[in-house]
Amino acid sequence: MRINSKLLGGLLALTLGHSASAVAGLNIFACEPEYAALAKELAPDASIYSATTAMQDPHQVQARPSLIAKMRQADLALCAGADLEIGWLPMLQMKSANANVRDGSDGMLYAAEVIETLDKLDKVDRSMGDVHAKGNPHLHFSPRRFLQVAEAVTERLKRLDADNSAAYDAAFVRFSERWQTAIPGWETSAQELAGRKVIAYHTSFRYLFDWLGIEQVADLEPKPGLPPSSGHLAGLLERARKGDVSAIVVASYQDTRGANWLAEKAGLPVLVLPMSVGGNDESQDLFSLYDSVINLLKGAN
Amino acid sequence: MNTFRLSVLASALISAAAAAETPTLGNPAISAVLDGYYQSGDRALGGREEGFGLGESELAISANIDDLFYGKLTAVIEAHDGETELELEEAFVQTLALPGGLSVRAGRFLSDVGYLNNQHLHSDAFAGRPAVYRAFLGSHYFDDGLRLSWVAPTDLYWTFGVEGFKGDKMRAEDEHGEREFDTVGVYNAFTKLGGDIGDNSSWQLGLAYMKNQNGRLTPHEEGEEVHEEDEHAHDHSHSAAYTGENTYVADFVYKWAPNGNYKYQHLTLSGEFFRVNDFKAPELHEEEHEEEEGHEHAHDKDYHQGWYLSGVYQFSPSWSAGLRYGELDTQLAHDDHYDAQKLKETEVSLNWHHSHFSTVRLQYTRQQGTNFDGISDDNLFTLQYVMTLGAHGAHQF
Repeated sequence: MRINSKLLGGLLALTLGHSASAVAGLNIFACEPEYAALAKELAPDASIYSATTAMQDPHQVQARPSLIAKMRQADLALCAGADLEIGWLPMLQMKSANANVRDGSDGMLYAAEVIETLDKLDKVDRSMGDVHAKGNPHLHFSPRRFLQVAEAVTERLKRLDADNSAAYDAAFVRFSERWQTAIPGWETSAQELAGRKVIAYHTSFRYLFDWLGIEQVADLEPKPGLPPSSGHLAGLLERARKGDVSAIVVASYQDTRGANWLAEKAGLPVLVLPMSVGGNDESQDLFSLYDSVINLLKGAN
Repeated sequence: MNTFRLSVLASALISAAAAAETPTLGNPAISAVLDGYYQSGDRALGGREEGFGLGESELAISANIDDLFYGKLTAVIEAHDGETELELEEAFVQTLALPGGLSVRAGRFLSDVGYLNNQHLHSDAFAGRPAVYRAFLGSHYFDDGLRLSWVAPTDLYWTFGVEGFKGDKMRAEDEHGEREFDTVGVYNAFTKLGGDIGDNSSWQLGLAYMKNQNGRLTPHEEGEEVHEEDEHAHDHSHSAAYTGENTYVADFVYKWAPNGNYKYQHLTLSGEFFRVNDFKAPELHEEEHEEEEGHEHAHDKDYHQGWYLSGVYQFSPSWSAGLRYGELDTQLAHDDHYDAQKLKETEVSLNWHHSHFSTVRLQYTRQQGTNFDGISDDNLFTLQYVMTLGAHGAHQF
């Protein structure tokens, strides 16, 4: 069946002048750039496509034609999960008619399912905002969890492409060693951040703050998924005036208007942190993403 | 589709313990849409009526049935003239594991003709479908049938599909109730192409050809009056008001968002063109040609057509505004001749979205009819809410 579809794809590629399946290696569809970056570390020969950029809110992606076309060709889809992509991924899975990447297939991997998420909720009600019952999905800023994800991705790659198992194992070992060496470096570098209090937008950096001991004392969003309202911002200003908040943190895809207003009134700096790889010029891969985020946080004082 | 969606409604139905554990294929996505409105007048070609009313309130349940099939059931509850109608809008199964980009959908479902048709009404930026949809598809065309579609394994999105339907809703007027109709009345072939232009823009083009075996009018006797206009003005049967044997549809949609980030602002431009050919009964047609010389209606056309253009700009997470203009040209049978009618609609909507799940809409519609269903000029105001409970509805591009 695979051979047939590849043959068909090859014929179509000839007639349409577009590249079909990858010439070498697997076709990997990543929902977010951090998973595309991870795939690049673990399967450098694969053809990797990221459905979103760090400038796009992954909650609100359109199930657009280009994504259907990419998903149609995917051997493996890597997504954060925990319902982050619920507004668009199910539509892509349905429209792309690719059995490889339906839920439960080897070709569909949700990172949130291989780690323990933070902030799982027993009870979810929409009056609480757009919350995720399965916990916070922005888990790529937890280095240890992300390593677990890397391990799970490696297992999947080996299952899907058994012939290259050794190469995947080697890539994982390489990544794992570099990552585990980097972690204490980041932790040392970020030591001074522990205990710091910030106001942030959404719970985008929940894992980062958890890891580095930063406390998010307030959220620019009145409820998850709701934009900052003027009444809510006024309340935040009250909070900021206590004097213990060191910065206002927003992600690269978030609107800075509310943050800027608050910053001006409260005399606080606004830190725009890259949400993922590509979120600023410094963040070229997972390592430099972490470096950049920590440097930006440290530069706040 | 993802069955991991647990909703308010589902939580209420399923015990708290079940909701907290890893969801399984057995936990379906349940959603309801509430739609209510006040309108200052009647809309041409069916649709919403004057005064307070309920639009399409729907209840939908969907889940993967097993590893091979997905299923969805959507029940729509509508109230008209003091009566409550329950209608099944969707009851289909779709394959999940066919090879080679193929999929089959069977049962009752929304046809893939045009751009808007396969989208649910509650995801629209306006209170009603454009006049072309109300005239040619009965607002939105869903029917019992079968679809086979295929997605090409190319970076340029290309899909192709064929559908066959029962076609009851697309039948031409049957004055005497004695006509023999084909049991598979409607065939539709469609193709869509799409892609991105950089990080900011995406597009899709669609073409469809619909063959309606029962679309031609029945020949009627000399001197007999056809009461099409009266019937359709208050017709909520979702039947097409104007039918023909061959329908051609071209549609496009273009979406823009800065950096492709749809959260704070985005623009959607879309348009569709419909041409419905060959609506006259063959006999009528011949008679007319014979009489053509001395007749003042010598310029009768053998087609209906219509189009609309729509622009919707979401300028903040909470606000969006839409502008839509459409025209409809149809021929209405009168004895042995046809009268040309024209309807122009200009619509402006302002939408407030407190969250993804709630919309309050104020819409102004100017209907300008030339000889159309008794409408000359008309101004309509609609105040509407559309609220979604339960599972996230993943909307199409």
